[in-house]
Amino acid sequence: MRPGHRARRSRGRLSPFRTITLAALAIALSAVAGGFAYFIPAAATAIQATGQVVNIPSPSPTDILFSPSPSPIPVAPGGPFTVLLLGSDDDSKFSADHVLTQSMILVRVIPATKEVTMLSIPRDLYVQGYGKIDGAYSYGGAGTAIAVVQQNFGVHINDYIWVGLLGLIKVIDAIGGIDVVTSNPVMDDYYPQDIFSANPYGLQRVAVLAGPQHLDGIHAMEYVRSRHSDLQSDFGRSKRQQQVLQAIRLKAKQLAPSDIPAMAAAIGGELKTSIGLDRVAQLVPLAATFDNPDSIRQVLLLPPYTHGGGPGGSVTPNWNLILPLVHQYFP
Amino acid sequence: MISKFLLAVGLAILMVVSGTTSYIYVGSRQSKVVAPPQKPIAATPRAQAFSLPGTIYIAQAGALYSFSAGRFHQLTPEAGWTQPALSPDGNTLIAVKRVGMYSDVYFLTRYGGIAGQLTNNAAPPRSSWDTGANAWSFYPRLSPDQRTLWMSYDGPKAAGNGYFDVDMSVWAVPVGGSIRQGRSWTSPNNYTGGDMQPIPLPSGGVIYTKYSYDSDGDRVGQLWFTNRAGSAGTALTSTAADCAQPSLSPDGRNMAMICTYKKQISYLTIASWNGSGLGPLKTVVSDQLVAQPAWAPDGSGIAYLAPGGPAAPFQLWFLAKNAYNPPPPSPIPTPSPSPGGPHNGPLPSPTPSPAPVAPVIKPIQVTANLGFDATSPIAWLG
Repeated sequence: MRPGHRARRSRGRLSPFRTITLAALAIALSAVAGGFAYFIPAAATAIQATGQVVNIPSPSPTDILFSPSPSPIPVAPGGPFTVLLLGSDDDSKFSADHVLTQSMILVRVIPATKEVTMLSIPRDLYVQGYGKIDGAYSYGGAGTAIAVVQQNFGVHINDYIWVGLLGLIKVIDAIGGIDVVTSNPVMDDYYPQDIFSANPYGLQRVAVLAGPQHLDGIHAMEYVRSRHSDLQSDFGRSKRQQQVLQAIRLKAKQLAPSDIPAMAAAIGGELKTSIGLDRVAQLVPLAATFDNPDSIRQVLLLPPYTHGGGPGGSVTPNWNLILPLVHQYFP
Repeated sequence: MISKFLLAVGLAILMVVSGTTSYIYVGSRQSKVVAPPQKPIAATPRAQAFSLPGTIYIAQAGALYSFSAGRFHQLTPEAGWTQPALSPDGNTLIAVKRVGMYSDVYFLTRYGGIAGQLTNNAAPPRSSWDTGANAWSFYPRLSPDQRTLWMSYDGPKAAGNGYFDVDMSVWAVPVGGSIRQGRSWTSPNNYTGGDMQPIPLPSGGVIYTKYSYDSDGDRVGQLWFTNRAGSAGTALTSTAADCAQPSLSPDGRNMAMICTYKKQISYLTIASWNGSGLGPLKTVVSDQLVAQPAWAPDGSGIAYLAPGGPAAPFQLWFLAKNAYNPPPPSPIPTPSPSPGGPHNGPLPSPTPSPAPVAPVIKPIQVTANLGFDATSPIAWLG
């Protein structure tokens, strides 16, 4: 073979060492890429659901003195923070952006002492300018709901999380169900049949029997949503909602990172939050350290904090009692 | 020396294989807690770690199963079947079939065949538009003479009354008769869900769980006993203990139940029963979410349902009798005079030996990954 031809052929070939190095690098890179690819749908959902921009308007359509703020108050790293949890009927009775909030829970988290306080706000609570407080979200979305709660309760809300009814069902199913002790049989002859029905105004019967049990999404929803057979009406329901939230938290602690895509797929567009993705990443490990159920305080605004007979069937607040209670836990 | 072209092709294949393998591997690392429960007969014949005496009847996902000699057999299709109970002679099952907005009680053979329908709770056609015109029957039991069906029942209701309060009461209905021939024995408290899980007694009375509001405004369960229809009866447990799901031992002398003390926990609790009252409550399992205790017909222990792990579906467990009723300690030996004549001195005192430490008997998990209906009592045939 001529020398020039040999040189050309050697330029087209690699030494075994370089070949092995290249192969190892290729395997490592593609393995990492394959692993990341598994989480791409979850990342897409997370990017879509988190970091929602909130514009907090004047708290009441008639109140023009309140200065609007562009977004909720940012959280100091590692410091306490307050989140407004919003749960909505999002069935076909309502247009997607104008749904009532069936559930409003203020959550105060103090990472240093691992304390959590959950204050359920009655959905029928009467507030100036909106009537029942559940209409605030319907009127102007999360920003208005935050503004109304901040103005009336005198609290600073750092972030909000909104979950649709269907989202809660899907989340509970995606995590394999939850274990709860239902304190009594929850019976309802006129429960809304609006989730998987062609007629969103239809009715159905519900019987969630008493005692320890494993609930799937549908039955957990029936348990937290029914209020007709509860003497405490919305307050009893708030108590059950807090119970189910704690059961979800307990179950979530058993999950592995590989479960995240399935959960993200289940949640779909049923969850929105102003919490950014970076903070979600910080909060997930923090939540796992809250392992003492006694450190979770549950507060309900039962009489004498509220009483019935308000305008349009609303619940009248006794602010003289409510505000000191709220400021005790939500400084 | 390998040509660059061949190397590029080889690396491309390697990367595809490696990436795909990595993707599949990460996906396979999903936690087991989200996996749906298996059907009990999924791997029949299935070797069970522990076999219980007799036959257990149990519900999962709307189907009834029997469990004997370590094997499950499916008795009914998954069609809303739940809450099996055995007739006192052990020849027949009664169970609830829950369909949509109502439930009915049926006689079943021990092999799952329908032998008769005991209630008819669907709304009559003229008022089928009203969801409230349907009725529920739950927790059926037959009286010791097998002539009376006991159950929790929320009817009869006037169609279209729009009344939001739905409370079950304990009813006694002649077997083969209509609900009109039946009689409500208890008066439920309003807006509590009512009176549940009746246990008819040979004496003619009935033990049941009554739900009520306590002084804190919380709804709690209490075991009650009444021996006369319409009488208030007597509370057997306190509201503070929040007890439910009574189960009478085969000899009629002990009661098992669950008590939650108003928390998201439940203790397996037993107490003696003298025919009109309970002795002190004794907690025998305190670290599980216990449901539906059932006594072994031979008195060898108590079966119950509890999650197989944290926040997991409910599995079948068994607690041996020695765990809650340990054998009495062997008596301390007394010195006996040795033969050979009178003994004038003091008798030697026996050397005290350390009391034997009773072995801790823990509950045995009988099944895994099955997910039984924890609101459905366990029926157990000897």
